[in-house]
Amino acid sequence: MPDIHILCIEDEPDVLDAVLRDLAPFEEKFTLTGAADAAEAREILEGLDPENDAVGLIFCDHIMPGQRGIDLLIALRKDNLQPLEHTRKVLFTGQADHADTIQAINEAGIDRYLAKPWEADELRGLTRKLLTEFVIAARIPPLPYMAVLDSARLAEAIHDRNDFNEAG
Amino acid sequence: MNQKTLIALVLAVAGFVTALLLPVADLSMAGQITLGIFLFAAVFWVLEPIPIYATSLIVILLQVLLLSAQGPLAQYTVPETVQPVRLEADTWELPAAAVTDEAKVRMKRNGRFQAVDVEVLESTAATATVRSAELTEETALARRAAHWQAEFTPPSYTVFLNTLANPIIILFLGGFVMAAGASKYRVDRNLIRIILRPFGTRPAGVMIGMMAITALLSAFMSNTATTAMMMAVVLPVISAAPEGDRFRIGVALCIPFAANLGGIATPIGTPPNAIALGALSQQGVNIPFTTWMGLTVPLVVVMLVFVWFLLLKVFPSREKNLALELTGTFETSPKAWALYIVAGGTILLWVTEALHGLSSSLVALIPVALLTAFQVVEKKEVRNLPWEVLWLMAGGLALGVAMRETGLAEWMVGVVPWGVLGAAGALAVFGIVAILLSNFISNTVAATLLMPLVMSFVASGMAEGFALTTAALTVAVGTSLAMALPVSTPPNAIAVSTGLIRTPDMVKMGVIIGTVGYGAVLAMAFLFWNLIF
Repeated sequence: MPDIHILCIEDEPDVLDAVLRDLAPFEEKFTLTGAADAAEAREILEGLDPENDAVGLIFCDHIMPGQRGIDLLIALRKDNLQPLEHTRKVLFTGQADHADTIQAINEAGIDRYLAKPWEADELRGLTRKLLTEFVIAARIPPLPYMAVLDSARLAEAIHDRNDFNEAG
Repeated sequence: MNQKTLIALVLAVAGFVTALLLPVADLSMAGQITLGIFLFAAVFWVLEPIPIYATSLIVILLQVLLLSAQGPLAQYTVPETVQPVRLEADTWELPAAAVTDEAKVRMKRNGRFQAVDVEVLESTAATATVRSAELTEETALARRAAHWQAEFTPPSYTVFLNTLANPIIILFLGGFVMAAGASKYRVDRNLIRIILRPFGTRPAGVMIGMMAITALLSAFMSNTATTAMMMAVVLPVISAAPEGDRFRIGVALCIPFAANLGGIATPIGTPPNAIALGALSQQGVNIPFTTWMGLTVPLVVVMLVFVWFLLLKVFPSREKNLALELTGTFETSPKAWALYIVAGGTILLWVTEALHGLSSSLVALIPVALLTAFQVVEKKEVRNLPWEVLWLMAGGLALGVAMRETGLAEWMVGVVPWGVLGAAGALAVFGIVAILLSNFISNTVAATLLMPLVMSFVASGMAEGFALTTAALTVAVGTSLAMALPVSTPPNAIAVSTGLIRTPDMVKMGVIIGTVGYGAVLAMAFLFWNLIF
């Protein structure tokens, strides 16, 4: 069972604390990490063990000191790091303009925008949905995550994929 | 290598070597080799250092290498032969080792050694003088009568390889291909929708409806796939129920339980049934599809109703209504129609075997051939079939063949003093061991380990008054009644993983069901199965 990470990149400490607090229920099964800027995020990602770590979800702010959020995501995509193979990506918006939006979708491959400020339930619902997609896409054995994620969809994936031990 | 793997390997090798070195007079060397393979496989199947189907393949490999005529062991240890020397008309001189303690010589005829009785007139350390009318100057005798190949003629390696295409394996393949088609065209989901409708919206009605459809589907498809699909359908509904409603636990438990029980109902319902049918056909007993159903369906229905009452009692619903909103329509594309017709026709032929006499394994080739011909099941689905389950079963069947052929099964049964228990008591012991064992290990493996023993127990005449079928069913059904732990069966594991059930809930219910089920199996065995065979 790989160690699945959720990485939140946000330069405002209060906002970052809020995200991490809202996502605390996921810590039972996932590793939740915060980064203050692109450089710190990159350091964390490059320190991961390709054998045992996988990044399930990245929440990333756009306007930050240093590298901007979209540019970080584009650069990461080019680097093709193993733990980031199936990662779902969410961009916090509010300040992204039209050109940024196009770039975010076409080049950074983001899955969702999330407008600030968000409701805690909305954030958790989105996290649940995207991590479920991640577990299915990365072909990680889904049983351990059923209680935390969307169990119906994971049951469906078990059924469709046919790769459980049938002979029990 | 981790510690568990190491322990398993050490134990397995120790078991293998012990079996070979065991000083047993009444078990042939071939039997000892088979005992070694049996112990090796048992350790690997129970501790699972490698997947259970991989162990099955090792079993077949070891048998081909060590027990077959073409294997290196048989090739490099060909017994030396010797011709008897005529002293008088029918008095012959032989090497002393060519005569056994029971005054037999082993004569080679048509490539096999056969035991022939002789009269020993005189015996020294080196030679023996015997009288026999059957010997001639051309007779080839084993120089050492105790040579393992003189006692046991190694079968062709195809005997072991053929288990991979045993008729029962083909029967399962037919079931797998139909299940793949049904899943692809969402027939399973549509059946759920249609069958659940008449059960209304009262929680108790919905629950028995869900159990009925789960059992019905798992009788023809894999128990695990059925559970996964039912969970996908049911979870959104019960997640909407109020947090504290215990009825949610009942619903989440009823599905794996019904799936485990449903597997009992047909020959293709679950792999232990294949092990039972394989062992029976080795003994020349062939059970038609409908006969199996006739024998087991009453038990399944009684158990389903019992489980329903039990779960309603322990996890009552507070709600008045439980709305299952299921939408969908049957596909009407030409391929979907081909599936409906082929699958419907196959099942019809299966359940009418008594009328036309075509065996169910033969019929099973129809969906395999036609569904692939019509490309209902395409390459992608073919590759996705659970082939490893077929391999697992084949290894079990191959082990059963060797245990019978080498006399190992008979010897193992003879080791236990059954006299104390009597035939009925012995059968009851096999039943309880089947249930207990398969709570902890794979049901198929439990059936594989027990089936050769129970078969030779009955065949040896020790179980007077008991039919082979009764014994095989008791063990096969027993393994399917094990559902007390999350590890007992994959359906249980899925149900617990949802987080709706706590393990103690499952254990309590599973122990009650196992106990009542055990009583029901024995009642069926003594009062029903045994009276019609």
